[in-house]
Amino acid sequence: MTSRPIVNLEGVGKRFGAGAPVLEGIELTVERGDFVSFIGPSGCGKSTLLRLIAGLTEPTAGRIVVDGMTPADAREEVFLVFQDANLLPWRRVAENVELPLMLRGDPTDRRRERVGEMLNVVGLAEAAEKYPWQLSGGMKMRVSIARALSVAPDILLLDEPFGALDEMTRDRLNEDLLTIRERDPFTAFFVTHSVAEAVFLSTRIVVLSANPGRMHRVIEVPFAQPRTPELRETPGFLSLLAETTRELRLVRR
Amino acid sequence: MKRQNAWLLPLATGVVLIAAWFGLKRLFRIESYVLPSPAEILAAAWHERATLLTSAFVTGRGALLGFLAAVGVGFALSMVMAFSIRLKQSLYPFILILQMTPVIILAPIFVLWLGQGLPSIVMITFMICFFPVVANTTMGFISVDRNLQELFVMCNATRTQEIRHLRVPGAMPYFLTGMKIAGTLAPIGAITGDFLAGGAQNGVGGIGFMTITYFSQLKIPALFATGLVACLMGFLFVGGVNYLHWRLLHRWHDSMVRKE
Repeated sequence: MTSRPIVNLEGVGKRFGAGAPVLEGIELTVERGDFVSFIGPSGCGKSTLLRLIAGLTEPTAGRIVVDGMTPADAREEVFLVFQDANLLPWRRVAENVELPLMLRGDPTDRRRERVGEMLNVVGLAEAAEKYPWQLSGGMKMRVSIARALSVAPDILLLDEPFGALDEMTRDRLNEDLLTIRERDPFTAFFVTHSVAEAVFLSTRIVVLSANPGRMHRVIEVPFAQPRTPELRETPGFLSLLAETTRELRLVRR
Repeated sequence: MKRQNAWLLPLATGVVLIAAWFGLKRLFRIESYVLPSPAEILAAAWHERATLLTSAFVTGRGALLGFLAAVGVGFALSMVMAFSIRLKQSLYPFILILQMTPVIILAPIFVLWLGQGLPSIVMITFMICFFPVVANTTMGFISVDRNLQELFVMCNATRTQEIRHLRVPGAMPYFLTGMKIAGTLAPIGAITGDFLAGGAQNGVGGIGFMTITYFSQLKIPALFATGLVACLMGFLFVGGVNYLHWRLLHRWHDSMVRKE
């Protein structure tokens, strides 16, 4: 049971209508507890790949198996953190975090308990009663992550969640994400433009080429868990950073 | 200072306009049966207060009932149309046809069917208020952010949950905009209703009815006073809707939220 891959992509391809393919021949087997980053030039179909795993759109070639099911059937185990925080503006922070629990019908007291717990995890207990417009971009993103974690998903898909944030906030959130994962060891799929972010967070980095999006290379990231901010200054980290950047330059031509 | 300006400027404009009114009347020696002075209008309003109060009540009742019917039916119909493209395609042309048929033509038909008085007045008000509610609310129901829709898909939300927790709150600002327009139209609709289909008890009817009466009796200052009452009623309606708008949106919507 535990040895079964949690996500399997077999020759997955996607085209929209009669257009040119966006993705082609994606082969990937992901074990429970992996942290997989997708990196590549714009137009390489990274976001589409996440949407395929989420079951929000269907592949036009190949097959995706999520925990032995189709992505649409496996949705209870999966949650997507969207590119922008994607909060409901009329709900307070706590109510936004509560939304998925409410929609799946958890009882009120359990919901409340879980929401409190999640807000603590992302360090937003003080902001529970605020509305999204009262928050900074980084805080909104934290709410979005708390909301995703509230349902304790086995698989978390993150679509460039920190792309719009400044580097300091981004580093902080990266570290927080790893801390959270020590508690809730979800399997993660992470789309990013930032090589440093990918190297810091991942167990594997998938470099994609564009037009159509193909797998260029899979880079294994050997650093031990749990990772600390100091990792960013080690020679091993820096050389892997350089290597990944080089690969990225190759596909960027 | 800014806050004071918000009061002072319209007040000053009002004073200038009224002074000009007095001045023109004096300068050109305009008779009161053509243009009464503001003082004469106020005096006439006071003299006719019992009648005007009754007619304001009659018109206000018609306006409120017609407005509420338009808001309720409009909201329900928009929701139905937002969730079934086929129903929308079937119904929308006929809603437009209704909107395009002038009330002047509809009024005698309502009188024929419902008789003179309240039911006809309510129907006329309803016809005038209904379209802005439907048009705006439908727009609100269908312009829901795609990402938020996908969030609900990721949560395995049912259709009913999506409507209740996403579409309805998301459509609120549009619905309230429709309601604001309907609110300004409701008193006008009811007065038109009085005018075209209103009845009277002991010679007193709605504001629209009294307009005709005062005109035929050449009570011109009183005729102007009905205009004053109509304006006040309009402000009352708009004020009510604005209050509702504030209640529902002030915590979260961009139109209300103060940026500090």
